[in-house]
Parts: sequence; structure tokens; C-alpha cells
Amino acid sequence: MSRPDEMAAAALPQAAVPQPRRARRIPEMLAIWLVLVALLVLAGVLSDAFLRPVYLGNIVRQAAPIGIAAVGVTLVMILGGVDLSIGATISLGAVVCAAVMAGEPANIAPAVVLACLAGAAVGTLNGALIAFTGVSPFILTLGTAITLYGVTQLITGGTAHGIVAPGFREAFNIRIGGVLPVLGLAFVGVAGLGLAVQRLTTFGRRLYLIGSNPATARLAGLPVRRTVLIAYALSGLFGGLGGLALLARSGVSGSLAASGYEFDVLAAVVLGGTTFEGGRGGIGGTVAGVLILFVAFNLVNVVGLPYHAQLVVKGAVIIAASALYRRMREARQA
Amino acid sequence: MALLETEGLSKSFAGVPVLSGVDFAAEAGEVHALVGANGAGKSTFLNIVSGSLAPSAGVIRLAGAAVRFATPQQAHRAGVSIVHQEFSLAPLLDVATNVFLGREPRTRLGLVDRARMRHDAAALLDTHGFRLDPDAPVAGLSVAEQQLVEIARALSFEAQVLILDEPTAALSPPEQQRLFAVIERLKAVGVAILYVSHRLDEVFRIADRVTVLRNGIRVATRRVADLDHAGLVSLMLGEAAAAAAPPPRATPGSVRLAATYRAGEATSSIVVRAGEIVGLAGFVGAGRTHLARALAGRARSNEIEMTIDGKAVDRRSAGAALRHGVVYVTEDRKRDGLFVPLGVLANTTAGALDRVSRFGLLQAGREQKLGGDMLARLRLAAPSLAAPVNHLSGGNQQKAVFARALLAEPRVLICDEPTRGVDVGAKAQIHDLLVELAGRGLAVLVVSSEFAELLAVADRILVMRDRAVVAAFARGTVDEPTLFRAASGDPAVLAAARPGLPP
Repeated sequence: MSRPDEMAAAALPQAAVPQPRRARRIPEMLAIWLVLVALLVLAGVLSDAFLRPVYLGNIVRQAAPIGIAAVGVTLVMILGGVDLSIGATISLGAVVCAAVMAGEPANIAPAVVLACLAGAAVGTLNGALIAFTGVSPFILTLGTAITLYGVTQLITGGTAHGIVAPGFREAFNIRIGGVLPVLGLAFVGVAGLGLAVQRLTTFGRRLYLIGSNPATARLAGLPVRRTVLIAYALSGLFGGLGGLALLARSGVSGSLAASGYEFDVLAAVVLGGTTFEGGRGGIGGTVAGVLILFVAFNLVNVVGLPYHAQLVVKGAVIIAASALYRRMREARQA
Repeated sequence: MALLETEGLSKSFAGVPVLSGVDFAAEAGEVHALVGANGAGKSTFLNIVSGSLAPSAGVIRLAGAAVRFATPQQAHRAGVSIVHQEFSLAPLLDVATNVFLGREPRTRLGLVDRARMRHDAAALLDTHGFRLDPDAPVAGLSVAEQQLVEIARALSFEAQVLILDEPTAALSPPEQQRLFAVIERLKAVGVAILYVSHRLDEVFRIADRVTVLRNGIRVATRRVADLDHAGLVSLMLGEAAAAAAPPPRATPGSVRLAATYRAGEATSSIVVRAGEIVGLAGFVGAGRTHLARALAGRARSNEIEMTIDGKAVDRRSAGAALRHGVVYVTEDRKRDGLFVPLGVLANTTAGALDRVSRFGLLQAGREQKLGGDMLARLRLAAPSLAAPVNHLSGGNQQKAVFARALLAEPRVLICDEPTRGVDVGAKAQIHDLLVELAGRGLAVLVVSSEFAELLAVADRILVMRDRAVVAAFARGTVDEPTLFRAASGDPAVLAAARPGLPP
């Protein structure tokens, strides 16, 4: 059983392949980053604004609320779930933060903590209901979204509520090296953290396992419920962080501040190669997806098309990306 | 003149012949049984005759005229209807609608004429003595009643030839008797019935003639009255099967798994000792997989009571069974055996991640060592540990599933069809592995529809029929024809092999 030649048959080039999934994922990941580069080149040709680092840094800053939230949603979608309450969670985070701050710099720390807790609580509730009742995540998180919008409207009376403390926005908008705002850096940092969770932890591995085949996962004794619960809790937490980012970017905490953001988030995640079927994709792709979306929005503005053309671009991008991934995967199966 | 006739019917898949020159004839008012071991070509034959498959060569004649069915619908309209093992009813609709599905009578406005449909359905059910309410939703009917709806649908096409594929598999004994009465009545009105069953005792009870297929060739058509059970089995298996049984192996140890399984009125007990391989034999529908999954914690409540090393296993879930060391290797890799499209290593270590991590952080080196060593031990061949598991051959996929099962450190290993879709070389390796594992004290239960496989590996073989264990044989005391006769319900064999504990 342990003769050297037999070992060789299965002893496989292990050292060359440190991560089991990487070899397969790179081509898709690479493809989406290449699309981003191509889009930037096109943008640079159309307008020299895209050649200025400060402008590019600004795009990353703009993308931060959506991008941070998309990191959490990617985890849920790898698992084969979805979080439609992400827009409402972002709104909730922003509203809670602004209300607790009430214009006092001393309240910044508790405001930040409470906004995160609020997001995580929403996510935990989603996760618990999905894990223990088996309700479809699509319906459940849609219900959560509607409920949350109602709750935030009730709290705020439907108008902007709370006052952002002096120093809060300023801190996030300092440009490191005169280029990348702290807010942009926060997006990069959260994405890095998410990437580490996805690649390096047992939790991250179980997301892929459960997402690729829940029946096998149950039979193999994986902690399916616990994993589902944690994934949704993280999605909520990142939603809360996204709310902070939104508040830092805009300074306004309207109760519907992030309504409709769930579609931007889903668009970015799908664009990045994480499908609704689960078991595929990852945060690396999502980051590229977010940036593509925002470069495209800016491009629409810069070339002078009306705002609503953004929606057309968004829709077209999602459809084109889904079709393209399908083709790539089919080509690989063949 | 025969009502349904085939001449030289042949079919190849990807150049491999599965049916070769089959001549067949069924008369009006005859029950004609079609029998054969697994892979004999029965399904292919049925699919061609009922319009689901096109033959590679040969002709089908219906009442003397050559016919060619491009679809099952064409076959239906010509009067050849099939009732499959799995029904194709719309559960939320009522009986009448199901009978006329897709051919509802219309009013002049083009709307469904419910009154007429109801009336026609009631008349049809009445003619054939089916006691069914045309307004009853199908979902509320018993399996036997649903089968009658299927048969009524077939008859509503004015079927001259009715094909019944394993019709009694899901029926209780009294329901089976009622089905036989229905068959007798249809026979009396001149319908030709093609009866396909593994249950040879039924063939002797209900059929007039029997056609035997073996390896895609028709080996005989006989009057049932001219045959006995043993004779029919030897026609089905040929001479080669009567090979001598292998000698017994070393005596197994103490009782590892003891279970009492209840299904319907039958109660079966299953005992597997440490170091023993117990085979679970039976035909499709005998309930082997259900029993195996029940043992692995996938049962409904009250169905099973079991102990492992004398300790009761209380909670019924796959997780609970796993904690007691009961590991189940599925019969259907695609459904719940593999994580597709993840890599081989990720598939292998899925259940053992806690052993290759610290504080929730995966340790890639340890994972590769643990998974890689196990895969090497099973001689899995893959381009790399990262290769998507679905890109491997069936045999290597199965080895990946086994590798994961073994990393769960089983005390009882339950393998359901361990060599399905696996090449000959890998099959022998898997058999060797099972013997080796038992040699190291594991209790192994192997479910297989291949009797030869069980004869090769098992120390003891339990035969299931109608969801109960009906016979038990020790290694070396049984051959393939005897197993076949037990599983197909030969009273002579069953009387001699009552299940029970070996001495």
C-alpha cells in the first residue's frame, strides 16, 4: 500500500498548490480584474480625469459603503444564500450612528459600536431564522428589509435624524498621501479582512462546502446551522459598517439613505463571479465588481449622460456578467 | 397473430450494444412477463417499445403493422401505454384531471369541459372496477390508488398493450392482490400485459409466458407452467454464476451494531460485529437504502432502535450517528456524496477540518498531509489535489468519498452501492479496501444490487424483500442463484434460510 510508485500516483504536486481552490478560481478572478483594467483604459481615453490619482482615490471612497457591505453579502452568497436586507441594514447603521452621536464628538465611539451591533443583530436574526426554520433566504431577507425600513422610518419620523459629530466625517476624509481617503482605505481593509476569513479559516472553507452541496454537507456532519448563522451575522455586521461609511461619506442620515443599495451590492457580487447557486466566487472578485460598477457610473457622468443612464448600465452589466460566467463555466466543463 | 411484436430489436449506446436482435411477441389477452438480472436490457427494451428511445435496428409491429414511435405520446395514441415505477401524476389536481391531462374534453368556447371530463372519468373507472372518486385530489391517495390512476390514464388511450414496470414495488400485500385482480380483468377484455418484475414469485402467480433477457439477448421465451423458480433463475443468470462460493474468513469479534428496524408490519433485526462485513442484498424497492440511511441517522422516528457496542444511540440525526462512529457512504455521489466543483482535497477533508486547524485557522500543511495521505492510501489518481472532483473518473470520485468517510474515523461503515459507476480496476481496489478495513476491526455493512459483489466481500449476507430482512446466509453457504431466488421470493429458499444470528 505504501510502495513508492503508488505514492507517486497520488502524491500529487502538493507544494505547488498551497490552496486547493486557487488553481481553478484564478482564471475567473483574473478575467474580472482584466475587465476593470480595460474599463479604466477606456475611461482614461474618454476623459483625462481618470488619469488623476486623486480622482481614482475618490472613486474608491465613493464605493466604500457598497463595497464594505458587499464583502459580507459575498460570504452569504458563497453559502448559497442571499441578503436582500443589506440596503435596509446600511440605512439602519447610518441612522443609529447619527442618532447616538447627536452632534457630540464624545459620542463617536459608542455610536460606532452601536451601529455595528445593530447591523450584527439584524444579521443574526436573519441567520437564525434561515438556519432553524428553513425559510427561503430570498423571502426572509426581503421581509426583513421591508420591516427594517418601517422601523427606521418610525424611529426617525421619516426625516433626517441625528447630527453627525464634528470630526467624524473629517477623520474619514483625510487623504493618505494626498490620494486615498481614509474611507477608501477602510474599504480596502475590510475587503482584506473578508478575504482572510474566506481563505484562511475553517468557517470560510465551510461556506464553500455548504454552498456547493448542502445535502453532502449535512451527511458529512458539517455544522451547517452554525455556519449559516455566522455568515448572516457577518453580513449584518458589514452592513452596519457600510452604514458608518455612508454617514462618513454623505454626512446625512435620511431614513431611506441606502434604499435600493441592495441591488448595487448584488450587482457587484454577481459581477465579481459569486453566483446565486453558491459554492463559487469570492471576495477578490467582488472588490473588482464594486470598482467596475463605480468606474462605470462615473464614466456615465463624465461623458455627460443623464443619471438614469446609470441604471441602464447597471442592469446591462449584471445581465452581461451572468451570461459571460455561464459560458466560461460551460466551456470549462466540456 | 401477435398483438405486439418485435423483430431483431437492437440498441447501442456509444457503440456499446445493450440490446441485440431481440425477437419478442405478446398476444392479446396474455400476461407476458419480462425478466432479467441487472443490466440485462429490460429498461432499454421497455423504453424502445413505449416510444422513449429509438432502436438502432429492428422493427416493432402492432397487430401486424410496422410502427415507429418518435415519442411516448405517439405510442400512447397507438395503444401502447407504460406505467412506470415512478408515477408522473400532478399531485394537486384531481383524479379526473390526471386521467385526461393534456387531452381534456373542451366546450365549444375552448374551455375545459369539466362536467364531461368528470363523467368520462367516472365511466372509465367504473368499467374497470376501480373504486376511485374522480374528484379526489391525487396527493391524498395511497400509492396503490395513485397507481390505479396511472393505469386508468393508460386505459383512457384505449390501450391494447399495457406495460407495468415493477408495479408491486411500492404496494402492500393486500394492495398487490387487488392489482392482480385488476390485471386479470384487463386480460379478460383482451389487453396484452407486459409485466416486468424482479419478483419471480409474482411472475409465477400472474404471468402466462415469460421472456428472459440476459446481456441484451433474448435467451428464452417459455410458458410459465413449464418452468420452476430455480429453472427460471438459471436462465436469467446463465451457467457462469454457479461458481463455488469462497471460503469463510476469520471469526469476527463482539457485536458492534445491533438494530431493530420496523417498516409496516415487519420487524427486522440487524447485527454487525466488529471485523465483519455484512452484505445487504435485494432488488430495487426492497428497502435496502432506506434501512441503510435509517442506520446512519436519516430515519423517521420510531422506525429504528440501535445500539453501538451495547450503548443506545438516542438522537436521530446524521450528526448524532457520526458521533457514535456510524459513517454512511451514499449510493448517489452526485446528490449527497460530493462537493462539486470544489477540489479533491477540500472534498476529502470537509468533515475533518477541526483536526487541521487551530483557533479556526486552517493549516494548509496539515490539511494536505491528512487528506493527501488518505488519498494516497486509497490510490486515488488525480492531476493535483486541487483538481475539481467532478473532473475525476467515477472510481476516483468514489475514492474521494471513501477518503472523507475514513477520515471521520468510523466504527461502523455503511456503504451503499460502493462500486456503482466505477471501473473494474477501482472496483477490485474498493473490495480489497473493505476487506482490509474489516480486518482492522471495523464493522462494515455493504448494500449492493450486485449479488456477485456481496458474495465476493461479505462474511454474511442478509436478503431484503418488502422492507424486511427475509433471509440470512453465512459466507460459503450460498451462491448467486440462491441469493437471486431468495430476493425474488422463492418460497423454497426462504423457508430454508430464516434470518437470525449465526452461531
